[in-house]
Amino acid sequence: MITVVAGPCGAGKTTWILQELAQVPTPAVYMTPGVSTVPIDATRVATRFPQVEIFHRQHETELLKRLADGVPAYFEMGFQLETDMPLLEAQPHRRVALVAQESQDTGWELWADSMIQGNPSTLDVKSAQLWRAPLSGQVFDPPSLDTFWQELTQGAYGEVHRAKGIFELADGQAFHFDFMNSLPGSAYTELNLPRWVQGRPNRFSGIEVVGQGLDERAIAATLKDCYLSDSLLAAHQTTLKDAIPLEVA
Amino acid sequence: MNIAVLSCIHSNLEALEAVLREIDQQPVDQIYCLGDLVGYGPYPNEVVARIRELDIPTCQGCWDEDIVDGLNACDCSYPSLLAETRGHLAHEWTNREVTPETRAYLAELPLTLQQDNLCFVHGSPHSQHEYLLPDTSAFIALERVLATGADTLFCGHTHVPYVRNLENSHLTLKAVHPATSSPSHSSTPLASLKRIINAGSVGEPRHGRPNATYVIYTTDTQQADLREVEYDYAKTCAAILEKGLPAIFAWRLSQGLEYAEKADDPTHVCER
Repeated sequence: MITVVAGPCGAGKTTWILQELAQVPTPAVYMTPGVSTVPIDATRVATRFPQVEIFHRQHETELLKRLADGVPAYFEMGFQLETDMPLLEAQPHRRVALVAQESQDTGWELWADSMIQGNPSTLDVKSAQLWRAPLSGQVFDPPSLDTFWQELTQGAYGEVHRAKGIFELADGQAFHFDFMNSLPGSAYTELNLPRWVQGRPNRFSGIEVVGQGLDERAIAATLKDCYLSDSLLAAHQTTLKDAIPLEVA
Repeated sequence: MNIAVLSCIHSNLEALEAVLREIDQQPVDQIYCLGDLVGYGPYPNEVVARIRELDIPTCQGCWDEDIVDGLNACDCSYPSLLAETRGHLAHEWTNREVTPETRAYLAELPLTLQQDNLCFVHGSPHSQHEYLLPDTSAFIALERVLATGADTLFCGHTHVPYVRNLENSHLTLKAVHPATSSPSHSSTPLASLKRIINAGSVGEPRHGRPNATYVIYTTDTQQADLREVEYDYAKTCAAILEKGLPAIFAWRLSQGLEYAEKADDPTHVCER
């Protein structure tokens, strides 16, 4: 059975899917269309539940095989409903919408089979700006990243409605950062990945920001100022290798 | 006698003028300044000219020294790569902007000023770059006050104002005699209360609001009044943008966040 999950930006779609997957620790499929170069949500799912297969649209044949085998599948839609999914027309599926109580009469109920209480979202989709950047290979100076994230989420580079990212830190760990303007503070979660202690990580990291009046150039430039240079990264990794066993070669 | 103590103006003329206007309305006999006249903000020459015009006794801050001698920072100057990059941008801008006259004035500033049992420094008596934070160890804090021979040490540099009483102060000396290998102790209670009074920052506050801070101290009662002054920070923000300084400085000033974050490790002893 396919579960299609939709809702406004920042409603908590990935979090809800993670909660569902936690209840059924069996092989499952996760798919989110359209974000293959910056798959933050997919990476979050894959690191939390390694048994879950991540699919992108181009692997539809394989996906159909899993569905034929009865593997449970979760499709996470973007915050604008995508209707061009022929796969769903031919497959039985249930539609779940995560919507805040006060927004539940805005059309989602016409689409959804079931409505789940989501985070409040006041984003004006028509004027919203979406900025994404892959950051793979970049390792961050933690206090610099902290400063950048505080500035970003407090409005230094424009009005931020939603921001999320996966960042590699100097100690070899990768973290998921999560900000939603209707919720207090940010959530920082260490990803279940081995420490990267040799060279530049070749696994995914990246950032996504949704808001209005975003100064994309300033965001990108500030992020760049938080990167560790090759020499600083090598110095950190030398210290790390002395302190912990080599986990990734 | 009432004295007003200002620190860390950081080229913010608008904030300085607001503080001076407020001081004018108080029964203040003398103004002292703890340095960092320049750096980050848009009006380094104008701030120096105003301090000179009023003949305010001023000691040299870390930014004043850097403009004279060049950058030579200990780790505590820049707690992150981002802060370092921004600090260097501000330094280079200020270095281009200051006149030879301003630079010469900054070069001649003393490191310490003293009046009776009061001592005035920028960071600590050891260095303009050393932070005396509210939670710096009591031993280090007391040692820094004693090193001056004064009872009250006025400092700035942290950009957060505070008063710290080093009560029940005594120094304990522990020495091991080579012949016996047993430690001997010598404890000396101090006759008078020692205090550190941090004046905060006029031009680059870090207390979460954009308001300027300074201190009025009454020598007769030894009372310290930490004062906060509202000013039109939007004018300084506009000047930051107009003069080509990084736009993020304007945003941070408007949030009371400083232009670049500062060290906050109370266990760090500056090695500059």
